[in-house]
Amino acid sequence: MDEGKSNTQQKPPAKNLTEVVIAIKGLKKTFGEKAVLKGINLELKRSENVVVLGRSGVGKSVAIQCIVGLLKPDGGSLKVFGDEVAGMTDGELKKLRIKTGFLFQGGALYDSMTVRENLEFPLTRVLKLKDQREIDKRVEDALDSVGLLEAIDKLPSDLSGGMRKRAGLARTIIVNPEIILYDEPTTGLDPITSREISYLILRIQKKYKTSSIIITHDMECARIAADRILIMDDGEFIAEGSFKGLHKSKNKIVEAFFKDVL
Amino acid sequence: MAAEIVVPGWKKWLEDIGDQVGFFLKFLRNIFTGGFEWSEFVRQCYEIGYRSVMLVGITSFIMGLVLVVQLRPTLVSFGSAGMLPKTLSVSFIREIGPVIIALICAGKIASSIGAELGSMKVTEQLDAMEVSGANPVQYLVVTRILATTIMVPVLSLMGDVIGLFGGFLGINIRDDMSFHLYFTKVISVLDFTDFLPALVKTVFFGFAIGFVGCYKGFNSNKGTESVGIAANSAVVTASLWIFVIDAIAVQVTSLLFYK
Repeated sequence: MDEGKSNTQQKPPAKNLTEVVIAIKGLKKTFGEKAVLKGINLELKRSENVVVLGRSGVGKSVAIQCIVGLLKPDGGSLKVFGDEVAGMTDGELKKLRIKTGFLFQGGALYDSMTVRENLEFPLTRVLKLKDQREIDKRVEDALDSVGLLEAIDKLPSDLSGGMRKRAGLARTIIVNPEIILYDEPTTGLDPITSREISYLILRIQKKYKTSSIIITHDMECARIAADRILIMDDGEFIAEGSFKGLHKSKNKIVEAFFKDVL
Repeated sequence: MAAEIVVPGWKKWLEDIGDQVGFFLKFLRNIFTGGFEWSEFVRQCYEIGYRSVMLVGITSFIMGLVLVVQLRPTLVSFGSAGMLPKTLSVSFIREIGPVIIALICAGKIASSIGAELGSMKVTEQLDAMEVSGANPVQYLVVTRILATTIMVPVLSLMGDVIGLFGGFLGINIRDDMSFHLYFTKVISVLDFTDFLPALVKTVFFGFAIGFVGCYKGFNSNKGTESVGIAANSAVVTASLWIFVIDAIAVQVTSLLFYK
């Protein structure tokens, strides 16, 4: 693996970077005869933002879907907070999912519900909150964190792509997850909105002390949000390091990602 | 060589049966565990029941009217025009009403559920619900299947009554029969063995419509085309199930009541 140099970005130091919250060893996943993950290794530390860069179809999203139990790995070990995901009961998986937020590419808002109802959904169904005043406060706080308070009573169909992602992020953070998995958070957005979302990811990390894995091929997002970058190709991580360190890499695939970056 | 082609098809068919059994068991388990989604259930009853009233009402009324107009010449040729109300009521309450209304509901409700859940799958809303720790089967499937199981019999009963009103109008196009006489004749020929089996089979029709719609939507592929396929497949399969259930119901009913 190509080792990059230390992180030189101007970001606040992350808190307690030594505790490992996600530990992946030799993770394999095959669809039919195609091996999508060929034994990947990854450690995510507390309050760390790890960006996974890679071309489309190399297995980035499959890896994070395995972490939340949406896909079942074919081999290897996948531990979240020290517990093996593969052996979890439904109840244990539910507890893990409360602690692990997931932001989908399109926001995945429930389109029959308003933004408020979308955010209330995990509070009433998962955390089983009853007190309407507490629910309202948490909904307003979460929307305020992503700068979307004015859209509280709108339907998802009335929101722009960027607003949908913000609302999706608000729904993710409302249950105070310790880990957030971002699946291509800036795809399909204009450069300005992409940058806003990338800084929002950074603000969420600071405010809620979350650890994150960010799947993207947006280099600006990687530059802004990453503490550490992993580059995936053909089901394997081929390089790891800071943005600046990888920028100087001589690996051809890594070079291809960074060649247009100033 | 032929065996090599046939086996995968059977394997896929058997896998599909296995998936449906698994889905059914998941539905049963989720009725009794983890709390019932009353507000969503009531919303679905409104969406499925109330929003189908107009369609079921109009089609039932026309069916009753058309049936009388079509039956009249044959009965007149036998000198039995007075039998029209009785013939209509027995055929409509026992068979034509429940089956046609269930087919209309399959077209409207199963397709709508299949398309809705299929589109939720395509836009990752089902995955989002699952990874949030909520239970999509409890929230989406249990509520919809129970709502169709309850609302289709209600719609069917309503359609039966409206269809008989259509028949009254149909008779009075050519003949002159009072409202009182018409309904006295209609009711005089009906008894418990006409109403109950028809009502029971509409419960199964309703269940089949909800189950097939949910199963097809929940198991659609992740592509926009699959939403259309899920909706279409839900209607076709639910309609087929309605005829299969009807065939079984007729056999059971004739064994129990019409010896």
